[in-house]
Amino acid sequence: MIKRWLTGFGITAYLGTLLFGIVSHAANFQDGSHPSMYFIVWDMFCGWSAYETRTHIVGQGVSGKYYELSPGPWGDYQPYSNISRHHYDSFNLNPQTIAVNCLKHTAHEPMTRLYVVEEAWAKKYNLPESLWKHRYSEPKEPYSYFHVRTVMTPEGQVTGNAVSWLSYQTNFTISDNPRLQRESQKSAPMFMVRPMSETSSPSAN
Amino acid sequence: MTTTSHYLDNETPSGLRARIGKFFFAEESPFGLALVRMVICIACLLVTVPRWIHSRELFSTDGAPTPLALNYGYADLLPVPSGGIAVALMTILTFCCVTACLGWCTRASLAISAVLYTYLNLLDSISTMTKYSVITSHVLFLLAFSHCGAVWSIDAWLRRRRLGLPQLHSLADHPKFAAWPRRLIQILIGVVYFGASVTKMHTPAYFSGDQLWHWMITNVNNANPVGEWMTLYPASLVAFAYLCVIWEILFLFVSWRGWGRVCMLAMGIGFHVMTTLTLGLYLFPITCIATYFAFVNSEDVVTAAARWRRWTRRHGETWLPRLAAVTRLPRAISGWATTSLRLTPAASLGVFSLLLTVVAVGAVEVEYRLDIYGERSPEGPLALKEIDPNVVKQMFAGSVRLREYDKLLAFDVGSSMFGGMITGVRDTFYHGDPVIAQCTLSPPHEDMWVECNLHDSNNILIDRVGQIVVRSQLRGNFLYRACEALDPGTYFLVLRTGTQELTRRKIEILANDAARCRINAN
Repeated sequence: MIKRWLTGFGITAYLGTLLFGIVSHAANFQDGSHPSMYFIVWDMFCGWSAYETRTHIVGQGVSGKYYELSPGPWGDYQPYSNISRHHYDSFNLNPQTIAVNCLKHTAHEPMTRLYVVEEAWAKKYNLPESLWKHRYSEPKEPYSYFHVRTVMTPEGQVTGNAVSWLSYQTNFTISDNPRLQRESQKSAPMFMVRPMSETSSPSAN
Repeated sequence: MTTTSHYLDNETPSGLRARIGKFFFAEESPFGLALVRMVICIACLLVTVPRWIHSRELFSTDGAPTPLALNYGYADLLPVPSGGIAVALMTILTFCCVTACLGWCTRASLAISAVLYTYLNLLDSISTMTKYSVITSHVLFLLAFSHCGAVWSIDAWLRRRRLGLPQLHSLADHPKFAAWPRRLIQILIGVVYFGASVTKMHTPAYFSGDQLWHWMITNVNNANPVGEWMTLYPASLVAFAYLCVIWEILFLFVSWRGWGRVCMLAMGIGFHVMTTLTLGLYLFPITCIATYFAFVNSEDVVTAAARWRRWTRRHGETWLPRLAAVTRLPRAISGWATTSLRLTPAASLGVFSLLLTVVAVGAVEVEYRLDIYGERSPEGPLALKEIDPNVVKQMFAGSVRLREYDKLLAFDVGSSMFGGMITGVRDTFYHGDPVIAQCTLSPPHEDMWVECNLHDSNNILIDRVGQIVVRSQLRGNFLYRACEALDPGTYFLVLRTGTQELTRRKIEILANDAARCRINAN
């Protein structure tokens, strides 16, 4: 009987957890609060972009030459398709780990700076030539945009971070408004701090 | 007989509590779970075997692990193992997947697999941890609590040998257990689909077909030529989008029995096959379809077995002897084992542990000798690859604004629409036909002035029509009518933004005796 009760409790707890995941996801309530939420929130294919992006992690040596830090010279790891692993770091959270690991296991001249450069192109250029001809009357001439996302020291300390290329381009679409520009310039962000005070910013931004 | 024995299939319990009790605790032979066990373990092996050689790089402090916890702001939630330990853990995981698939020390294998698979995946968020990994973790976890190793397994065979039980002559002779692990796997996959439908409802671009369109023209998952071809028919994506959401919502409620179960599972298999063809997904479909075996109950297996026996009686004369030749070796091993092996559960676990240790230690040694970073070669560590200076120049040229042409995704001309998309794409129109031109823009774009102008064969502007496409819109539609004011002949529809021509389409207008139109409308 105890076994039956324990089983019943386990079933209820499991179903309750699944239900919490659904409610949390539907109501956007605590759905990103803890890594464990990843196991009960089913948000497959929640995002999309009209642009394909790739990440280049490069190092600049003291000689001025630039070196590829991912994939490492020992070989490429492509988890899916023919695309290297570091390209799947869509939030740009791990380039320093990847870059430092590459430097740790290779012979190289001293580095001055490490960079993360985003490359982006319109996804329509991914279409094969035969389908392109069906869709477009112009010849296919792919064009890539490059955008320096992160600058790091050779030890992987981040010294500069920019918004992603897509956010950078999105900002243009909004800031092209003279009235908006004028009004935003009148209200530069500031936060008055009293010396020795540990009070944090009252705004959540 | 256990405490659940009073829930027999032929009983009809009244009351909600009794029905729930029957739903979870009715006894059955775990054939469905055994099938889930085998297929999910094969799906696991498809992940672990190719990644084994990269274990040091992906999961250890001697590589570049990318813990999932970092995405949530938890820097050191889980310990990261050293290189050798990571290789050993990956080897143990792979070994346990194999043994769980075969059903040897099944519960221990599944428990170890569930823990290690989840742990290692959590250490590599960018290339290993995805939703198929999560579903697999759930299923392995549930199977570890089940009796899925009681049938069609080495454990079951050893048990019969040990107890001196006779050969099973009927499927009904297999042991029976409560159904709840199977029920939880069924509910899990239903909840996954329901959650996926919620995600789609949160994504307006899903229903307009734009999201699918763009996923179909990327190889981020894998190559998907069918998906690329389907982008020629964007209206079909809208229809499929709605169909998919309806199926995902219904699955949890309809897939339990009768035709509802058949239809939902058939649609599910169709859906997942299509995700392979159109989106390049492989592991996700295999994982989901593995869970479908949880919908197989004892009656299904009995029915299938009876059909198989009938079929082999009718058609087996020619190929059964050949099959016997193929299975000679396994039968010889089985015969030897039958006369030699009489392992107790403790002895079986001992052999399992010994073999696991030997394999793990051997794998660590092999990986060390392989020297994946190439550091111990006579030439020393490998040199970095220099980047072509011309490429560097491009990379650091500075960010530029989007070209106008890149903002244009498509310019279609046709005569009818479905789901907000042009359907009858064509370039020949008769007097009286509507001519619908649709420009589709890629986000992000600013508020744009877009013109769709009609030019004659000499490129002389005949009609200028423009509209503002605000930044939240992705489409601008222009309606012309091929009226008699336009002489039969060749024309061009020219798409322009405020600053430049983007593209043009050539159309032919032909005379029609039954012309109805008198005005050039927009």
